[in-house]
Amino acid sequence: MYYQLINFGDEEFYAYPNKSLYWKRLNTLIVSDLHIGKSMSYAKNKQFLPPYDTKEILNKIFVSLDKIKPSNLIIVGDLLHDVFSTLSLKDQDHKNLSKYMKNTDFIWIKGNHDKNIQMEGFKNFTDYRIDKFLFTHIPIETSSFQICGHYHPKVKISHRGKTIFKTCFVHNEKIFILPSFGILTGGLDINSKQISDILGQKNLSIYPLGQDKVYKL
Amino acid sequence: MNINKSNPLLLHPLNKWMKKKKWFWFPHQIETFQHVRSGSDVVVFAPTGAGKTLTGFINPIDDLIKLKKIKGLHTLYISPLKSLANDIVRNLQKPIKDLNLNISFQVRTGDTTPYKKQKQKQKPPNILITTPESLALLNSYENAKEFFHNLKYIIIDEIHTFLDNKRADLLSLNIERLQTFSPNLQRIGLSATLKNKQDAKKWLCRKKPKIVSYENSVLPKIKILESKERIPWSGHMATYSINEIYKEIMKSKLTIIFVNTRAQAEYMFKNLWLINKKKLKIAVHHGSLEKNLRLKVENNLSKGLVDCVVATSSLELGLDYGDVEKIIQVGAPKGINRLLQRVGRSNHNLNTPSKAILVPTNRFEFIEAKAAIEEIKKNNLDKIDLKEGSFDVVAQHIFATACAGQFNINDLYEEIIKAYPYRNLNFNDFKALINLIQDGGYVLKNYDQFKRIFQLRENKNIYKLVNKRETRKYRMNVGTIIENPMLKIKLGTKTLGNIEEVFIQNLSQGDSFIFAGQVLEFQSMKNNLVQVKRSKSLISKIPSYSGGRMPLSTNLANSVRALLAKSNMWDLYPEQITEWLKRQKNISKIPKKDEYLVEQFPRKKNFYTVIYTFAGWHANQTLGFLLLRGFKEFNYKPLGFVANDYAIVLWSLKEVKEIKTILNLGLLDKHLDNYLEETSIVKRLFRDNAIISCIIERRLPGMEKTGKQVLFSSDLIYTVLKKNEPDHILLKSSYEDAKKNMIDYDRLREILKKIDKKIILKKLTSISPLAVPIILEINRENLSKKETDEYILEDLENEILKEANVLSIN
Repeated sequence: MYYQLINFGDEEFYAYPNKSLYWKRLNTLIVSDLHIGKSMSYAKNKQFLPPYDTKEILNKIFVSLDKIKPSNLIIVGDLLHDVFSTLSLKDQDHKNLSKYMKNTDFIWIKGNHDKNIQMEGFKNFTDYRIDKFLFTHIPIETSSFQICGHYHPKVKISHRGKTIFKTCFVHNEKIFILPSFGILTGGLDINSKQISDILGQKNLSIYPLGQDKVYKL
Repeated sequence: MNINKSNPLLLHPLNKWMKKKKWFWFPHQIETFQHVRSGSDVVVFAPTGAGKTLTGFINPIDDLIKLKKIKGLHTLYISPLKSLANDIVRNLQKPIKDLNLNISFQVRTGDTTPYKKQKQKQKPPNILITTPESLALLNSYENAKEFFHNLKYIIIDEIHTFLDNKRADLLSLNIERLQTFSPNLQRIGLSATLKNKQDAKKWLCRKKPKIVSYENSVLPKIKILESKERIPWSGHMATYSINEIYKEIMKSKLTIIFVNTRAQAEYMFKNLWLINKKKLKIAVHHGSLEKNLRLKVENNLSKGLVDCVVATSSLELGLDYGDVEKIIQVGAPKGINRLLQRVGRSNHNLNTPSKAILVPTNRFEFIEAKAAIEEIKKNNLDKIDLKEGSFDVVAQHIFATACAGQFNINDLYEEIIKAYPYRNLNFNDFKALINLIQDGGYVLKNYDQFKRIFQLRENKNIYKLVNKRETRKYRMNVGTIIENPMLKIKLGTKTLGNIEEVFIQNLSQGDSFIFAGQVLEFQSMKNNLVQVKRSKSLISKIPSYSGGRMPLSTNLANSVRALLAKSNMWDLYPEQITEWLKRQKNISKIPKKDEYLVEQFPRKKNFYTVIYTFAGWHANQTLGFLLLRGFKEFNYKPLGFVANDYAIVLWSLKEVKEIKTILNLGLLDKHLDNYLEETSIVKRLFRDNAIISCIIERRLPGMEKTGKQVLFSSDLIYTVLKKNEPDHILLKSSYEDAKKNMIDYDRLREILKKIDKKIILKKLTSISPLAVPIILEINRENLSKKETDEYILEDLENEILKEANVLSIN
């Protein structure tokens, strides 16, 4: 699979076009903001989005796990969209999850959407530390390097008179933000106040996602 | 007009008023009155100024005065525009007040206050003037049946605007609903003159259908602007003739300049303003301007307080601006009906001709303008093709029906297929639409616990809304007109209007652009408001509005082809046009009216193929994409194409040798699906379909994304659905829409069916005179969006890498 090498906190990470990040040294795969069951949650309000997002997200994860066979899978928050989302997981989905859990530790860092939800086999954390790296859904005040999600970053690219928006990985010196791994999730401009308050606007490393390639700006 | 001795209208309540005004009844008014009185549904065709509005009200007023016992709502009047509805009230007021008739009438549109609406429901007027959307809303109330059960007449004004769009579908369904409520209901349609009158009759009439027609014998006087300047090869802005247009404005008391797009309106307005030495009062009017700005212009226009208004189709319909002396049409007429509608805006007096001047903005448009004038002389109108009813509108209607109370699906189906657009709707599709409203209608029955409507346990044919709260959602979503995402423009605290989000995204701080006739500088975008300030910049962009482009009508296209071939006419044209055509004849060929000329020539290392189809922009655009694929298959290495109303040009690395083999019906059958897949056409229409069928909620002003993440994108929904459930009714619905609207499928099919025998192939050594205009339009890359994105990213990355290398060497 094509990847883009990203150096962050003196470690090498592989950014994949499927929106996952791989830390090879520790054989750890990192994803964020899956928002499983978002369609189910909308259906509660009678907006009947196609109910295929859960299936697709899980497939995407399983394909990655099959290829990479990581020892750890870290989910940096918002695995589920809300309490109704668990309804969208079928028995077979739970069976598949437990199958993969035999070889991989599923580390679930809670986000704002899934704070109070439990699922079998997941190891729950509010944040998770490996060496100098802190995994957390929303960045906090700390001197550590942080790997986070929450913002669903997108970058606006204007080039030769055309403008496009692309989902991206983005980091500054200390904070790394993953794109949303979800299927029906939108995005937020990295120049928006919410993101620039966290990352600032200078010295950003931005990695927009193409069709099957991760670019570097 | 002669007064018929046996004229039954001499006994009409309004006769006294007519006499006082020294007006006579028109023959078509008498005829309509008699037909309606004997129980017929009628469509009346009459030109502006022939008492059309009054014609509709003759029977209702007669009934209301003579049959004194009538209580409640008696007549419903449907107008295509809110502004027109208000105008009707003003016109109706005059005779009713003058004669002190005991008839109540009111208007009900989106602008009516909730208080007034509430009062209308408690105590309905005899005559209610409203719009299709407001009617749909009225039908969704629980007491709709009682409200309408005495309804005797429904009058559809400007029915020609209701034949070929989704609004027409919505209206047709609601008319059938009224007919169910009140079986005695009679229908009266009022229309500008139409080529296929029978079609309008089929659409509207059920009971003893009748057509009443009154043709105006006074033809409009239309000429082409005589210019000392040369008509440019290509372009759409008429800059060459601006001084002559200005002179024409000075000669008349009040002029409307019609243009084809909002961008042209802004541009024309700006250019007139630059040369406005006499300080004429010139205004601009188009659909994106803030309502108050528009109303101000309309007001000034009706009071004669302006000298000239530059307008788009926003001023085409309705209101009587009696003082308008002259119409100037800048740019191609595109169709006969449209041109006539526009020309009819001047001078509402039947016995004197309307006056209009056409200003072609390029050479092909000159021929088109000439052709249009010829056709108008022959009174050869465009046919309006009735459309098959759209699925998404039925879904919305099902939801509305549920809001009004529980319903039996068999009864609803029987009612719907009485509506002409839905006469062919099969029960399976209808059931799929019921399921769509129930829970999205997906194969995976995931949403059982979240249904919007449910079947009663004791009778599975009866459906009921789960709870009252849903009615609010229906009311927020009613209607078939979906705007592109728009942002409000603020100059200080003043709102100027709405601009497409896509346009703003392409601007950077400090860029200037023209809007509402002013040069503005983009400052910032906060909370979905675009903040601007006035600018003195001379370089400015013009906002693009995607809705602006409509294709050349088939009728006019045929006329253009015929005219082009008439070489004995050429000497009457301006010298440069004559010269242009003569050179074309010498170097290549002028196609006969049923021939398709194909020219091929090398140019700058590439190989060019130009096909003159005269098929209109949509069909040509489609054909361009299909040929691109065909060329790829034959390994000609095509690089791109450009299409306009008249022709397509493709360029490739290799010589295209088998054009006759490629260009036929097989091309369409083979590549159409791929084409729809690769371009965003169906995707775009999917969004409209999902909103109209109430699957995703409409983004209303004020409830837009609040700076947080976009909720979800309809593109993503489309992709997920397409992948998992390609037969879903919403996809089917979007696909049908695409075929009808964006790709002109039927028209293209007709052409390709017979094209192979009629191709005239000319191999040239260089570009031909006829090809120059379209070659000049080549100014953009023609790659699909997906490819463009990838190209931009790659290019940018390469540039940055190059820069990085240079830096490291230094």
